[in-house]
Amino acid sequence: MTYAFAAPLITFFEYSFYRFRRGRLEQVFTLDTYSRFLFDSYYHVVIYDTLRMATIVTLLSLAIGYPLAYALYRINRPAIQRWLALLIFSPILVSVVVRSYGWIVLLSDQGPVNWLLLRFGVLAEPATLVFNLFGVVISLTHVFLPFVVFPIFSSLTRLDPALKEAAEDLGANWWTTFRRVTFPLSLPGVVAGAQIAFTLALGAFVTPAMLGGGRVLVLPLQVYNATTDINWPVAAVGGMALLVISMVAVAAFNRLLKYSEAR
Amino acid sequence: MAVVNRSREIPPLRYVALGVFTVAASLFIIAPLAVVVLNSFNNVAYNVFPPEELSTRWYVNLFSQDVFYAAAGRSIVLAALSTGIALVIGIMAAYALVRYKLPAPDLIKASLLSPIVLPKIVLGVALFMFFVRIRMLDNYSSLLVTHVLVIAMVSASLANFDWTLQEAAMDLGAGPIRTFIRVILPQISLSVGISAVFAFITSFDQVETTIFMVRTGSNTLPVEMFLYLQKWQDPTIAALSTLLILFAIALVMLISLMLRGRRLPFLPQRPGEDTQ
Repeated sequence: MTYAFAAPLITFFEYSFYRFRRGRLEQVFTLDTYSRFLFDSYYHVVIYDTLRMATIVTLLSLAIGYPLAYALYRINRPAIQRWLALLIFSPILVSVVVRSYGWIVLLSDQGPVNWLLLRFGVLAEPATLVFNLFGVVISLTHVFLPFVVFPIFSSLTRLDPALKEAAEDLGANWWTTFRRVTFPLSLPGVVAGAQIAFTLALGAFVTPAMLGGGRVLVLPLQVYNATTDINWPVAAVGGMALLVISMVAVAAFNRLLKYSEAR
Repeated sequence: MAVVNRSREIPPLRYVALGVFTVAASLFIIAPLAVVVLNSFNNVAYNVFPPEELSTRWYVNLFSQDVFYAAAGRSIVLAALSTGIALVIGIMAAYALVRYKLPAPDLIKASLLSPIVLPKIVLGVALFMFFVRIRMLDNYSSLLVTHVLVIAMVSASLANFDWTLQEAAMDLGAGPIRTFIRVILPQISLSVGISAVFAFITSFDQVETTIFMVRTGSNTLPVEMFLYLQKWQDPTIAALSTLLILFAIALVMLISLMLRGRRLPFLPQRPGEDTQ
Protein backbone atom coordinates (compact mmCIF):
# COMPACT_ATOMS: atom_id res chain seq x y z
CA MET A 1 0.00 0.00 0.00
CA THR A 2 2.78 2.38 0.93
CA TYR A 3 4.49 1.47 -2.31
CA ALA A 4 1.35 2.35 -4.24
CA PHE A 5 1.61 5.88 -2.88
CA ALA A 6 5.41 6.06 -3.06
CA ALA A 7 5.87 5.09 -6.73
CA PRO A 8 3.84 7.98 -8.20
CA LEU A 9 5.41 10.42 -5.76
CA ILE A 10 8.91 9.33 -6.77
CA THR A 11 8.01 9.88 -10.44
CA PHE A 12 6.62 13.25 -9.45
CA PHE A 13 9.83 14.11 -7.61
CA GLU A 14 11.86 13.05 -10.63
CA TYR A 15 9.94 15.34 -13.00
CA SER A 16 10.63 18.29 -10.72
CA PHE A 17 14.30 18.14 -11.82
CA TYR A 18 13.64 18.04 -15.57
CA ARG A 19 13.86 20.99 -17.88
CA PHE A 20 10.97 22.60 -19.71
CA ARG A 21 11.96 24.71 -22.69
CA ARG A 22 10.03 26.10 -25.65
CA GLY A 23 6.92 24.15 -24.73
CA ARG A 24 8.76 20.82 -24.50
CA LEU A 25 9.90 18.61 -21.69
CA GLU A 26 13.56 17.66 -21.80
CA GLN A 27 14.96 14.93 -19.60
CA VAL A 28 17.94 16.99 -18.49
CA PHE A 29 18.77 17.35 -14.83
CA THR A 30 18.38 20.90 -13.61
CA LEU A 31 17.61 22.77 -10.40
CA ASP A 32 16.39 25.82 -12.31
CA THR A 33 12.70 25.23 -11.57
CA TYR A 34 13.43 25.05 -7.85
CA SER A 35 15.56 28.17 -7.83
CA ARG A 36 12.95 30.05 -9.84
CA PHE A 37 10.30 28.90 -7.39
CA LEU A 38 12.37 30.00 -4.40
CA PHE A 39 13.44 33.38 -5.70
CA ASP A 40 10.68 34.55 -8.02
CA SER A 41 8.35 36.96 -6.26
CA TYR A 42 5.38 35.59 -8.26
CA TYR A 43 5.61 32.27 -6.41
CA HIS A 44 6.15 34.07 -3.11
CA VAL A 45 2.78 35.75 -3.63
CA VAL A 46 1.15 32.41 -4.50
CA ILE A 47 2.51 30.75 -1.36
CA TYR A 48 1.62 33.74 0.80
CA ASP A 49 -1.95 33.77 -0.59
CA THR A 50 -2.33 30.03 0.01
CA LEU A 51 -1.18 30.30 3.62
CA ARG A 52 -3.31 33.39 4.23
CA MET A 53 -6.43 31.74 2.81
CA ALA A 54 -5.86 28.57 4.86
CA THR A 55 -5.33 30.62 8.03
CA ILE A 56 -8.48 32.71 7.57
CA VAL A 57 -10.56 29.62 6.78
CA THR A 58 -9.21 27.80 9.85
CA LEU A 59 -9.94 30.73 12.17
CA LEU A 60 -13.45 31.24 10.77
CA SER A 61 -14.20 27.50 10.99
CA LEU A 62 -13.14 27.52 14.65
CA ALA A 63 -15.15 30.67 15.37
CA ILE A 64 -18.33 29.05 14.01
CA GLY A 65 -17.42 25.47 14.92
CA TYR A 66 -16.63 25.92 18.60
CA PRO A 67 -19.96 27.46 19.71
CA LEU A 68 -21.77 24.93 17.54
CA ALA A 69 -19.88 22.03 19.11
CA TYR A 70 -20.58 23.50 22.55
CA ALA A 71 -24.30 23.82 21.76
CA LEU A 72 -24.34 20.21 20.52
CA TYR A 73 -22.67 19.18 23.79
CA ARG A 74 -25.09 21.11 26.01
CA ILE A 75 -28.34 20.05 24.35
CA ASN A 76 -30.20 17.95 26.89
CA ARG A 77 -32.58 16.12 24.58
CA PRO A 78 -30.96 13.14 22.81
CA ALA A 79 -33.35 13.38 19.85
CA ILE A 80 -32.51 17.03 19.12
CA GLN A 81 -28.82 16.32 19.67
CA ARG A 82 -28.99 13.49 17.16
CA TRP A 83 -30.73 15.59 14.53
CA LEU A 84 -28.35 18.50 14.98
CA ALA A 85 -25.38 16.12 14.67
CA LEU A 86 -26.88 14.69 11.48
CA LEU A 87 -27.54 18.20 10.14
CA ILE A 88 -23.95 19.30 10.77
CA PHE A 89 -22.59 16.11 9.28
CA SER A 90 -24.83 15.68 6.24
CA PRO A 91 -23.24 18.27 3.88
CA ILE A 92 -20.25 15.90 3.68
CA LEU A 93 -22.47 13.60 1.62
CA VAL A 94 -23.07 16.25 -1.05
CA SER A 95 -20.41 16.79 -3.71
CA VAL A 96 -18.06 19.75 -3.25
CA VAL A 97 -19.00 20.87 -6.76
CA VAL A 98 -22.68 21.10 -5.74
CA ARG A 99 -21.90 22.96 -2.51
CA SER A 100 -19.59 25.43 -4.23
CA TYR A 101 -22.25 25.99 -6.90
CA GLY A 102 -24.76 26.65 -4.10
CA TRP A 103 -22.51 29.39 -2.75
CA ILE A 104 -22.15 30.95 -6.21
CA VAL A 105 -25.95 31.20 -6.44
CA LEU A 106 -26.30 32.38 -2.84
CA LEU A 107 -23.65 35.10 -3.07
CA SER A 108 -24.19 36.28 -6.64
CA ASP A 109 -25.10 39.92 -7.38
CA GLN A 110 -28.81 39.06 -7.67
CA GLY A 111 -28.67 36.23 -5.15
CA PRO A 112 -30.55 35.85 -1.85
CA VAL A 113 -27.82 37.37 0.36
CA ASN A 114 -27.59 40.56 -1.69
CA TRP A 115 -31.39 40.64 -1.92
CA LEU A 116 -31.65 40.54 1.88
CA LEU A 117 -28.94 43.16 2.34
CA LEU A 118 -30.65 45.52 -0.14
CA ARG A 119 -34.11 44.81 1.20
CA PHE A 120 -33.17 45.77 4.74
CA GLY A 121 -31.21 48.77 3.57
CA VAL A 122 -27.83 47.52 4.75
CA LEU A 123 -26.44 48.27 1.31
CA ALA A 124 -27.42 50.72 -1.40
CA GLU A 125 -26.21 48.49 -4.24
CA PRO A 126 -25.23 44.82 -4.46
CA ALA A 127 -21.86 43.90 -2.98
CA THR A 128 -19.42 41.65 -4.85
CA LEU A 129 -19.43 38.61 -2.59
CA VAL A 130 -18.31 35.92 -4.98
CA PHE A 131 -15.43 35.40 -7.44
CA ASN A 132 -13.05 36.83 -4.87
CA LEU A 133 -11.34 35.71 -1.65
CA PHE A 134 -14.48 36.33 0.41
CA GLY A 135 -16.54 33.81 -1.55
CA VAL A 136 -13.80 31.18 -1.39
CA VAL A 137 -13.34 31.63 2.37
CA ILE A 138 -17.09 31.38 3.13
CA SER A 139 -17.53 28.32 0.94
CA LEU A 140 -14.47 26.50 2.31
CA THR A 141 -15.59 27.23 5.87
CA HIS A 142 -18.92 25.62 5.03
CA VAL A 143 -17.19 22.58 3.57
CA PHE A 144 -14.84 22.08 6.53
CA LEU A 145 -17.26 22.88 9.38
CA PRO A 146 -18.11 19.23 10.22
CA PHE A 147 -14.40 18.37 10.43
CA VAL A 148 -13.99 21.08 13.08
CA VAL A 149 -17.20 20.54 15.06
CA PHE A 150 -16.85 16.81 15.75
CA PRO A 151 -13.28 16.78 17.19
CA ILE A 152 -14.22 19.68 19.51
CA PHE A 153 -17.49 17.98 20.47
CA SER A 154 -15.67 14.75 21.18
CA SER A 155 -13.13 16.42 23.49
CA LEU A 156 -15.99 18.23 25.29
CA THR A 157 -17.79 14.95 25.98
CA ARG A 158 -14.60 13.48 27.44
CA LEU A 159 -14.63 16.25 30.02
CA ASP A 160 -15.38 15.14 33.57
CA PRO A 161 -18.54 17.01 34.71
CA ALA A 162 -17.27 16.86 38.31
CA LEU A 163 -14.51 19.36 37.44
CA LYS A 164 -17.07 21.89 36.34
CA GLU A 165 -19.23 21.38 39.39
CA ALA A 166 -16.16 21.73 41.59
CA ALA A 167 -15.34 25.04 39.92
CA GLU A 168 -18.91 26.26 40.43
CA ASP A 169 -18.96 25.09 44.03
CA LEU A 170 -15.78 27.06 44.61
CA GLY A 171 -17.67 30.17 43.52
CA ALA A 172 -16.50 30.57 39.94
CA ASN A 173 -19.11 32.12 37.63
CA TRP A 174 -19.92 30.52 34.26
CA TRP A 175 -17.41 32.64 32.34
CA THR A 176 -14.54 31.84 34.71
CA THR A 177 -15.52 28.17 34.68
CA PHE A 178 -15.53 28.15 30.89
CA ARG A 179 -12.31 30.11 30.56
CA ARG A 180 -10.31 28.27 33.22
CA VAL A 181 -11.78 24.74 33.07
CA THR A 182 -13.88 23.86 30.03
CA PHE A 183 -11.97 25.68 27.31
CA PRO A 184 -8.43 24.57 28.26
CA LEU A 185 -9.61 20.96 28.53
CA SER A 186 -11.24 21.10 25.10
CA LEU A 187 -8.07 22.44 23.45
CA PRO A 188 -6.99 19.05 22.02
CA GLY A 189 -10.22 18.99 20.02
CA VAL A 190 -9.68 22.57 18.87
CA VAL A 191 -6.14 21.77 17.71
CA ALA A 192 -7.26 18.55 15.98
CA GLY A 193 -10.06 20.40 14.18
CA ALA A 194 -7.73 23.24 13.21
CA GLN A 195 -5.22 20.73 11.84
CA ILE A 196 -7.82 19.13 9.58
CA ALA A 197 -9.25 22.46 8.40
CA PHE A 198 -5.82 23.97 7.73
CA THR A 199 -4.40 21.02 5.78
CA LEU A 200 -7.59 20.55 3.77
CA ALA A 201 -7.68 24.28 2.99
CA LEU A 202 -4.05 24.16 1.80
CA GLY A 203 -4.94 21.47 -0.74
CA ALA A 204 -8.37 22.81 -1.75
CA PHE A 205 -8.78 22.99 -5.49
CA VAL A 206 -12.45 22.83 -6.56
CA THR A 207 -13.74 25.71 -4.43
CA PRO A 208 -10.96 28.23 -5.26
CA ALA A 209 -11.28 27.26 -8.92
CA MET A 210 -15.07 27.78 -8.94
CA LEU A 211 -15.47 30.74 -6.58
CA GLY A 212 -12.12 32.47 -6.98
CA GLY A 213 -12.97 33.90 -10.40
CA GLY A 214 -9.27 33.78 -11.29
CA ARG A 215 -8.45 36.23 -8.51
CA VAL A 216 -7.55 33.67 -5.88
CA LEU A 217 -4.44 31.99 -7.28
CA VAL A 218 -3.51 29.41 -4.65
CA LEU A 219 -0.87 26.70 -4.95
CA PRO A 220 -3.24 23.84 -5.99
CA LEU A 221 -4.60 26.01 -8.82
CA GLN A 222 -1.08 26.87 -9.90
CA VAL A 223 -0.21 23.14 -9.96
CA TYR A 224 -3.35 22.43 -12.01
CA ASN A 225 -2.63 25.22 -14.50
CA ALA A 226 0.99 24.13 -14.94
CA THR A 227 -0.11 20.53 -15.53
CA THR A 228 -2.63 21.51 -18.20
CA ASP A 229 0.02 23.72 -19.83
CA ILE A 230 2.17 20.54 -19.94
CA ASN A 231 4.80 22.36 -17.91
CA TRP A 232 5.33 19.35 -15.67
CA PRO A 233 8.50 20.51 -13.90
CA VAL A 234 6.72 23.61 -12.61
CA ALA A 235 3.69 21.51 -11.62
CA ALA A 236 5.96 19.04 -9.82
CA VAL A 237 7.89 21.74 -7.96
CA GLY A 238 4.63 23.44 -6.96
CA GLY A 239 3.26 20.12 -5.77
CA MET A 240 6.43 19.38 -3.79
CA ALA A 241 6.13 22.82 -2.17
CA LEU A 242 2.51 22.07 -1.26
CA LEU A 243 3.49 18.68 0.15
CA VAL A 244 6.31 20.16 2.23
CA ILE A 245 4.06 22.94 3.55
CA SER A 246 1.35 20.50 4.59
CA MET A 247 3.89 18.16 6.21
CA VAL A 248 5.31 21.06 8.22
CA ALA A 249 1.77 22.13 9.15
CA VAL A 250 0.81 18.62 10.28
CA ALA A 251 4.01 18.30 12.31
CA ALA A 252 3.46 21.71 13.91
CA PHE A 253 -0.15 20.86 14.79
CA ASN A 254 0.96 17.50 16.24
CA ARG A 255 3.41 19.35 18.42
CA LEU A 256 0.65 21.72 19.49
CA LEU A 257 -1.63 18.75 20.17
CA LYS A 258 0.91 17.18 22.55
CA TYR A 259 1.31 20.52 24.28
CA SER A 260 -2.46 21.02 24.61
CA GLU A 261 -2.96 17.51 25.99
CA ALA A 262 -0.23 17.95 28.59
CA ARG A 263 -2.12 20.71 30.33
CA MET B 1 -26.90 14.11 28.89
CA ALA B 2 -25.26 13.22 32.17
CA VAL B 3 -24.67 16.84 33.04
CA VAL B 4 -27.30 18.25 35.34
CA ASN B 5 -28.08 21.63 33.94
CA ARG B 6 -28.98 23.60 37.00
CA SER B 7 -29.75 26.81 35.15
CA ARG B 8 -32.48 25.13 33.17
CA GLU B 9 -35.47 26.60 34.98
CA ILE B 10 -34.56 30.20 34.12
CA PRO B 11 -32.62 30.13 30.85
CA PRO B 12 -29.98 32.87 31.18
CA LEU B 13 -29.18 35.19 28.32
CA ARG B 14 -26.12 33.21 27.29
CA TYR B 15 -28.19 30.08 26.56
CA VAL B 16 -30.61 32.12 24.48
CA ALA B 17 -27.62 33.57 22.59
CA LEU B 18 -26.19 30.11 22.06
CA GLY B 19 -29.56 28.88 20.81
CA VAL B 20 -29.87 31.77 18.36
CA PHE B 21 -26.32 31.12 17.19
CA THR B 22 -27.07 27.42 16.67
CA VAL B 23 -30.13 28.24 14.57
CA ALA B 24 -28.10 30.75 12.51
CA ALA B 25 -25.29 28.21 12.02
CA SER B 26 -27.83 25.58 10.93
CA LEU B 27 -29.18 28.05 8.37
CA PHE B 28 -25.60 28.64 7.20
CA ILE B 29 -25.20 24.87 6.72
CA ILE B 30 -28.51 24.40 4.91
CA ALA B 31 -28.65 27.61 2.84
CA PRO B 32 -26.34 26.70 -0.09
CA LEU B 33 -28.17 23.40 -0.57
CA ALA B 34 -31.65 24.88 -0.23
CA VAL B 35 -30.87 27.65 -2.71
CA VAL B 36 -29.73 25.08 -5.27
CA VAL B 37 -33.09 23.32 -5.04
CA LEU B 38 -34.94 26.64 -5.34
CA ASN B 39 -32.80 27.75 -8.28
CA SER B 40 -33.49 24.54 -10.19
CA PHE B 41 -37.11 25.71 -10.58
CA ASN B 42 -36.08 29.18 -11.69
CA ASN B 43 -37.50 30.02 -15.11
CA VAL B 44 -34.61 32.19 -16.34
CA ALA B 45 -31.06 31.22 -17.22
CA TYR B 46 -29.38 33.56 -14.75
CA ASN B 47 -29.33 33.61 -10.96
CA VAL B 48 -32.03 35.88 -9.60
CA PHE B 49 -33.68 35.94 -6.20
CA PRO B 50 -36.54 35.67 -5.61
CA PRO B 51 -37.33 33.70 -8.80
CA GLU B 52 -39.77 35.61 -11.01
CA GLU B 53 -41.46 32.53 -12.37
CA LEU B 54 -41.21 28.84 -11.61
CA SER B 55 -40.73 26.14 -14.21
CA THR B 56 -39.33 22.67 -14.71
CA ARG B 57 -37.59 23.47 -17.99
CA TRP B 58 -34.10 22.83 -16.56
CA TYR B 59 -35.12 19.31 -15.61
CA VAL B 60 -36.37 18.78 -19.15
CA ASN B 61 -33.07 20.17 -20.42
CA LEU B 62 -31.11 17.94 -18.04
CA PHE B 63 -32.89 14.78 -19.10
CA SER B 64 -32.23 15.54 -22.75
CA GLN B 65 -28.48 15.74 -22.20
CA ASP B 66 -26.88 12.37 -22.76
CA VAL B 67 -23.49 13.44 -21.38
CA PHE B 68 -24.84 13.59 -17.85
CA TYR B 69 -26.49 10.15 -18.08
CA ALA B 70 -23.28 8.61 -19.34
CA ALA B 71 -21.16 10.43 -16.76
CA ALA B 72 -23.49 9.40 -13.92
CA GLY B 73 -23.37 5.78 -15.06
CA ARG B 74 -19.56 5.86 -15.21
CA SER B 75 -19.32 7.43 -11.76
CA ILE B 76 -21.67 4.90 -10.16
CA VAL B 77 -19.87 1.90 -11.67
CA LEU B 78 -16.47 3.33 -10.76
CA ALA B 79 -17.57 4.12 -7.20
CA ALA B 80 -19.10 0.67 -6.69
CA LEU B 81 -16.01 -1.13 -8.02
CA SER B 82 -13.48 0.94 -6.12
CA THR B 83 -15.54 0.71 -2.92
CA GLY B 84 -15.60 -3.09 -3.20
CA ILE B 85 -11.85 -3.34 -3.81
CA ALA B 86 -10.98 -0.82 -1.11
CA LEU B 87 -13.18 -2.61 1.45
CA VAL B 88 -11.64 -6.02 0.77
CA ILE B 89 -8.11 -4.60 1.02
CA GLY B 90 -9.05 -2.56 4.09
CA ILE B 91 -10.62 -5.49 5.96
CA MET B 92 -7.70 -7.75 5.09
CA ALA B 93 -5.16 -5.15 6.19
CA ALA B 94 -6.94 -4.42 9.46
CA TYR B 95 -7.43 -8.17 10.08
CA ALA B 96 -3.77 -8.92 9.40
CA LEU B 97 -2.69 -6.16 11.75
CA VAL B 98 -4.55 -7.76 14.66
CA ARG B 99 -4.59 -11.44 13.79
CA TYR B 100 -0.97 -11.93 12.92
CA LYS B 101 0.66 -9.56 15.39
CA LEU B 102 2.90 -8.25 12.63
CA PRO B 103 6.28 -6.91 13.65
CA ALA B 104 6.02 -3.21 14.46
CA PRO B 105 2.29 -2.79 13.67
CA ASP B 106 2.64 0.81 14.78
CA LEU B 107 4.94 1.44 11.87
CA ILE B 108 2.48 -0.15 9.44
CA LYS B 109 -0.39 1.79 10.95
CA ALA B 110 1.64 4.99 10.65
CA SER B 111 2.41 4.33 7.01
CA LEU B 112 -1.25 3.55 6.36
CA LEU B 113 -2.18 6.85 7.92
CA SER B 114 0.58 9.03 6.54
CA PRO B 115 -1.10 9.84 3.19
CA ILE B 116 -3.55 12.04 5.09
CA VAL B 117 -1.01 14.83 4.81
CA LEU B 118 -0.91 14.35 1.05
CA PRO B 119 -2.99 17.03 -0.73
CA LYS B 120 -5.32 15.33 -3.20
CA ILE B 121 -4.25 17.50 -6.11
CA VAL B 122 -0.64 16.37 -5.53
CA LEU B 123 -1.73 12.74 -5.55
CA GLY B 124 -3.76 13.38 -8.71
CA VAL B 125 -0.93 15.01 -10.64
CA ALA B 126 1.64 12.48 -9.39
CA LEU B 127 -0.54 9.55 -10.47
CA PHE B 128 -1.19 11.22 -13.82
CA MET B 129 2.54 11.59 -14.49
CA PHE B 130 3.17 8.06 -13.25
CA PHE B 131 0.51 6.54 -15.53
CA VAL B 132 1.81 8.52 -18.50
CA ARG B 133 5.28 7.23 -17.79
CA ILE B 134 4.28 3.57 -17.57
CA ARG B 135 1.89 4.07 -20.54
CA MET B 136 -1.25 3.10 -18.71
CA LEU B 137 -3.13 6.39 -18.94
CA ASP B 138 -5.90 5.47 -21.37
CA ASN B 139 -6.71 2.45 -19.31
CA TYR B 140 -9.79 2.12 -17.12
CA SER B 141 -7.67 0.43 -14.47
CA SER B 142 -5.67 3.63 -13.92
CA LEU B 143 -8.89 5.38 -12.93
CA LEU B 144 -9.85 2.48 -10.68
CA VAL B 145 -6.43 2.40 -8.98
CA THR B 146 -6.66 6.14 -8.37
CA HIS B 147 -10.06 5.86 -6.74
CA VAL B 148 -9.04 2.93 -4.55
CA LEU B 149 -6.00 4.90 -3.39
CA VAL B 150 -8.07 7.96 -2.57
CA ILE B 151 -10.56 5.87 -0.61
CA ALA B 152 -7.69 4.23 1.27
CA MET B 153 -6.24 7.65 2.03
CA VAL B 154 -9.48 9.19 3.23
CA SER B 155 -10.81 6.23 5.16
CA ALA B 156 -7.54 5.16 6.80
CA SER B 157 -8.50 7.15 9.87
CA LEU B 158 -12.06 5.84 9.86
CA ALA B 159 -11.20 2.15 9.74
CA ASN B 160 -11.24 1.33 13.40
CA PHE B 161 -12.62 -2.15 13.71
CA ASP B 162 -12.97 -3.94 17.01
CA TRP B 163 -11.32 -7.34 16.74
CA THR B 164 -11.28 -8.51 20.36
CA LEU B 165 -14.17 -10.97 20.10
CA GLN B 166 -12.60 -12.99 17.32
CA GLU B 167 -9.76 -14.08 19.58
CA ALA B 168 -12.30 -15.43 22.04
CA ALA B 169 -14.05 -17.38 19.28
CA MET B 170 -10.78 -18.84 18.05
CA ASP B 171 -9.87 -19.79 21.59
CA LEU B 172 -13.18 -21.63 21.84
CA GLY B 173 -12.17 -23.78 18.88
CA ALA B 174 -13.90 -22.16 15.92
CA GLY B 175 -12.02 -22.39 12.62
CA PRO B 176 -10.74 -19.20 11.02
CA ILE B 177 -13.34 -19.02 8.23
CA ARG B 178 -16.21 -19.87 10.56
CA THR B 179 -14.91 -17.30 13.02
CA PHE B 180 -14.80 -14.72 10.28
CA ILE B 181 -18.35 -15.34 9.05
CA ARG B 182 -20.08 -16.02 12.35
CA VAL B 183 -18.27 -13.68 14.71
CA ILE B 184 -16.27 -11.04 12.92
CA LEU B 185 -18.59 -10.13 10.09
CA PRO B 186 -21.60 -9.39 12.33
CA GLN B 187 -19.28 -7.49 14.65
CA ILE B 188 -17.77 -5.27 12.01
CA SER B 189 -20.81 -5.02 9.77
CA LEU B 190 -21.72 -1.57 11.10
CA SER B 191 -18.19 -0.23 10.61
CA VAL B 192 -18.00 -1.87 7.20
CA GLY B 193 -21.40 -0.50 6.22
CA ILE B 194 -20.50 3.03 7.21
CA SER B 195 -17.05 2.72 5.62
CA ALA B 196 -18.71 1.56 2.43
CA VAL B 197 -21.02 4.58 2.34
CA PHE B 198 -18.03 6.87 2.90
CA ALA B 199 -15.91 5.11 0.32
CA PHE B 200 -18.69 5.41 -2.24
CA ILE B 201 -19.17 9.11 -1.49
CA THR B 202 -15.42 9.73 -1.61
CA SER B 203 -15.11 8.09 -5.00
CA PHE B 204 -18.24 9.81 -6.28
CA ASP B 205 -16.86 13.22 -5.28
CA GLN B 206 -13.40 13.05 -6.88
CA VAL B 207 -12.47 16.02 -9.03
CA GLU B 208 -8.84 16.94 -8.42
CA THR B 209 -7.51 13.37 -8.56
CA THR B 210 -9.53 12.33 -11.59
CA ILE B 211 -9.62 15.44 -13.74
CA PHE B 212 -6.31 14.71 -15.48
CA MET B 213 -7.16 11.08 -16.21
CA VAL B 214 -10.51 11.44 -17.89
CA ARG B 215 -10.93 12.42 -21.51
CA THR B 216 -13.59 14.58 -23.10
CA GLY B 217 -16.55 12.31 -23.70
CA SER B 218 -15.65 9.92 -20.89
CA ASN B 219 -15.85 12.20 -17.86
CA THR B 220 -17.07 11.20 -14.44
CA LEU B 221 -20.07 13.11 -13.12
CA PRO B 222 -18.37 15.62 -10.77
CA VAL B 223 -15.71 16.40 -13.40
CA GLU B 224 -18.42 16.84 -16.04
CA MET B 225 -20.30 19.22 -13.73
CA PHE B 226 -17.12 21.10 -12.85
CA LEU B 227 -16.21 21.59 -16.51
CA TYR B 228 -19.80 22.48 -17.46
CA LEU B 229 -19.84 25.19 -14.79
CA GLN B 230 -16.61 26.65 -16.19
CA LYS B 231 -18.56 27.37 -19.39
CA TRP B 232 -22.21 27.84 -18.38
CA GLN B 233 -24.02 28.98 -15.28
CA ASP B 234 -27.60 28.02 -16.17
CA PRO B 235 -29.77 26.09 -13.68
CA THR B 236 -29.34 22.76 -15.49
CA ILE B 237 -26.61 22.11 -12.93
CA ALA B 238 -29.06 23.14 -10.21
CA ALA B 239 -31.51 20.50 -11.43
CA LEU B 240 -28.78 17.87 -11.44
CA SER B 241 -27.55 19.03 -8.03
CA THR B 242 -31.08 18.72 -6.66
CA LEU B 243 -31.13 15.08 -7.72
CA LEU B 244 -27.74 14.56 -6.04
CA ILE B 245 -29.04 16.24 -2.85
CA LEU B 246 -32.02 13.84 -2.88
CA PHE B 247 -29.51 11.01 -3.24
CA ALA B 248 -27.61 12.36 -0.21
CA ILE B 249 -30.84 12.57 1.81
CA ALA B 250 -31.51 8.93 0.94
CA LEU B 251 -28.02 8.12 2.21
CA VAL B 252 -28.66 10.00 5.47
CA MET B 253 -31.82 7.91 5.90
CA LEU B 254 -29.80 4.77 5.22
CA ILE B 255 -27.16 5.73 7.78
CA SER B 256 -29.70 6.61 10.45
CA LEU B 257 -31.44 3.30 9.75
CA MET B 258 -28.11 1.50 10.18
CA LEU B 259 -27.52 3.39 13.40
CA ARG B 260 -30.97 2.85 14.85
CA GLY B 261 -30.67 1.96 18.49
CA ARG B 262 -26.92 2.32 18.39
CA ARG B 263 -24.64 5.08 19.51
CA LEU B 264 -23.50 7.38 16.72
CA PRO B 265 -19.95 6.34 15.91
CA PHE B 266 -18.65 9.86 15.95
CA LEU B 267 -20.27 10.56 19.30
CA PRO B 268 -17.73 9.09 21.67
CA GLN B 269 -18.35 7.45 25.01
CA ARG B 270 -18.85 9.64 27.99
CA PRO B 271 -16.61 9.48 31.03
CA GLY B 272 -17.69 6.78 33.42
CA GLU B 273 -18.91 4.51 30.65
CA ASP B 274 -16.85 1.50 29.76
CA THR B 275 -14.15 2.62 27.35
CA GLN B 276 -12.73 -0.07 25.14
